[in-house]
Amino acid sequence: MGQYTSLVVERRGPVGWLINNRPDQLNAMTAKMREEFADAWKELDGDPDVRVIVHTGNGRAFQTGVDVTEIATDGVGFERYRQSVEDNDFHFTAWHQKVWKPVITAVNGICAGGGFHWIADADIVIAASDAQFFDPHVSVGQVVAMEAIGLLRKMPAESVMRMAFLGRYERMSAQRAYELGMISQIVDPPERLREEAQALAEKIARNSPAAMAATKRALWQAMEHGLTEACRLGALELVSMWGHPDQEEGPLAFAEKREPVWQPLVP
Amino acid sequence: MEGRAPELMGYTSLIVERQGPVGWLIFNRPEAGNAMHAVMFSELEAAWAELAGDDRVRVIVNTGTGASFQTGLDMVQLARDPAALREQSRRTAKADLHFTAWHQQVWKPVIAAVNGTCAGGGLHFVADADIVLAASSATFLDPHVSVGQATAFEAIGLLRKMPAEAVMRMALVGRYERLSAQRAFELGMVSQVVDPPERLRDEAQALGEKIARNSPAAMAATKRALWQAFEHGLTEACRAGGQELVSMWGHPDQEEGPRAFADKREPAWQPLGRTQSKER
Repeated sequence: MGQYTSLVVERRGPVGWLINNRPDQLNAMTAKMREEFADAWKELDGDPDVRVIVHTGNGRAFQTGVDVTEIATDGVGFERYRQSVEDNDFHFTAWHQKVWKPVITAVNGICAGGGFHWIADADIVIAASDAQFFDPHVSVGQVVAMEAIGLLRKMPAESVMRMAFLGRYERMSAQRAYELGMISQIVDPPERLREEAQALAEKIARNSPAAMAATKRALWQAMEHGLTEACRLGALELVSMWGHPDQEEGPLAFAEKREPVWQPLVP
Repeated sequence: MEGRAPELMGYTSLIVERQGPVGWLIFNRPEAGNAMHAVMFSELEAAWAELAGDDRVRVIVNTGTGASFQTGLDMVQLARDPAALREQSRRTAKADLHFTAWHQQVWKPVIAAVNGTCAGGGLHFVADADIVLAASSATFLDPHVSVGQATAFEAIGLLRKMPAEAVMRMALVGRYERLSAQRAFELGMVSQVVDPPERLRDEAQALGEKIARNSPAAMAATKRALWQAFEHGLTEACRAGGQELVSMWGHPDQEEGPRAFADKREPAWQPLGRTQSKER
C-alpha cells in the first residue's frame, strides 16, 4: 500500500477510487505524482475486493498534464522523461499498467493537455456539466502525440485534430464531448459527479470480473490490429472463459432469480 | 417467378422474400426473441448465399419479427442440448463464423432494420451491416458479462464504426443499462430512427429502393474497398482501395451512368452476377 502525497486512493464498497490531489496546481503531474500513479493503479488492480476503478480529481481541474513549473525550475526539465518517451515506456494510466478491471474516468472540471491520457485510456468517461476540454500543447511550443493518437481510435477524428491545432484558444464543452461520444454521461449539477460515478461503478460491479477482464483485453487489443485479426485474437479471450465457474454461475443465478456469486479475479 | 418469388429453401427460423429489387432476410423465432439456435445458424448461412446469388436482389434488408430484432445465442438450447451447438463453438474458437453478411462476403448493400431489442450476439448484425435503421422503440444492450460470458466479435466490429467509449460502456455495464435508438442515432451507430415503429419496414423498403437505383457493380467494388479498409492502416487501405477503383474501369456501367444522366433516364445497369469477377 503506497503512502500517497499527490493522490488519494480509497475504497467504497466494490469500487476503488483514484483521486488526483494537487488541486492548487490544477492536478498537474510532477515526477513524484507520475510515480504514485504507477503504484496506485497496481494497488487497486491487485486488490480482489476492488471490482471497478473510478478516477477523478479534487478541485476545479481534473488533470492538466505535466507540471510545467517543475519542468521550468528543477534544472532537469523534459530530459527527465526522455528515456521513457523514446522507449514508449509509460506507467501512469490504467492502459499503461495493463489494468484489466473496468476503469471509469469522472471528469470533474478542466481537462487539459496531458489530462487527455486518462480520457483516451479509460473504458468509460463521464463528466460534470461544467467540465471543459482543451489541448494547449502547440500553444506552448510542445508536440501532442499519444493522447490524441489514443482519442483518434475512439471518437470522430476531426474534433481531435481541431483540439490539437486550436491549442489554448478554444475549449470543448461537456455537452459537445457527449454529442461526439467522447463521454457517455453528463452529470448536472456537477456536485453529483461522484455519486453518479459510484452508482455506475456499482452496476458494473454486478458483472463477472473474469468475463469483464477477458472482454476488456479483447476490445483493447482490437485497437492494435485489422478487423479480421482482431476477431481471431478476440476468440482466444472468448474461449478463455469456457469452463470458468462464472460461465455456469451466470445462467444459474439468472434462472434462480438471484444475484450471481462470481469468482474473485486472480491478480 | 413473377411478383413475390417463392422461397428456394424451406426455412423454419427465417423468412426470406423479395419485394421488387429488395431481398428480405427476417429472423422468425419471435417466441424466443429471435435467438439463434443450431438450425438458425445453418439457415442464415444458406439465406445470405441465396440472396447474394440472386441477380434480381440488389439490396438486402435484415430485420426480425416480434418484439426483438435479435438476442444472440439461444441460451435455452445451450442449456438443454449443448451438443447441437458444438459446431458453432468450434467456429467461435476459430473466429470462423458464417451467419452474417460480412462472414459470408456478401458484397451487396445490407441494411439492418432493428425492430426491437438487440441484445448480445444480436449486435453482430448491426456491426456487420452497411446501413442500420432502428424503430424508435428499439434498444441495444450487451448482457454477456452479466451472465459470465466475455464479449468480443460484435464489440470489436462496432469499435471500428462508432465512438469506442459507448461500445465499451455497453460491453462492461451488461444488462444493467440499455442504449436507446435516439442515443444510437446521435452516436452514428444508426443513421435513421423510424417513428412510429410500425413504419420501419416501409422505410427500410424505401431506402432499399433508392440504393437499388445505383450501379450494382460499383456498389460491390465500393463495399469491398470500405470493408477491407478496416483491415489495414490508412495508406495500405488506400492502396487496396485503388484496385477496387480500377476494377470498374471499362465496365459497361461506367459508360451507362453518364449516358443515362445526359439522357435524363434511369440507367440500365449490368446485373451483378455476370460482372462480379472477383471473389475475395
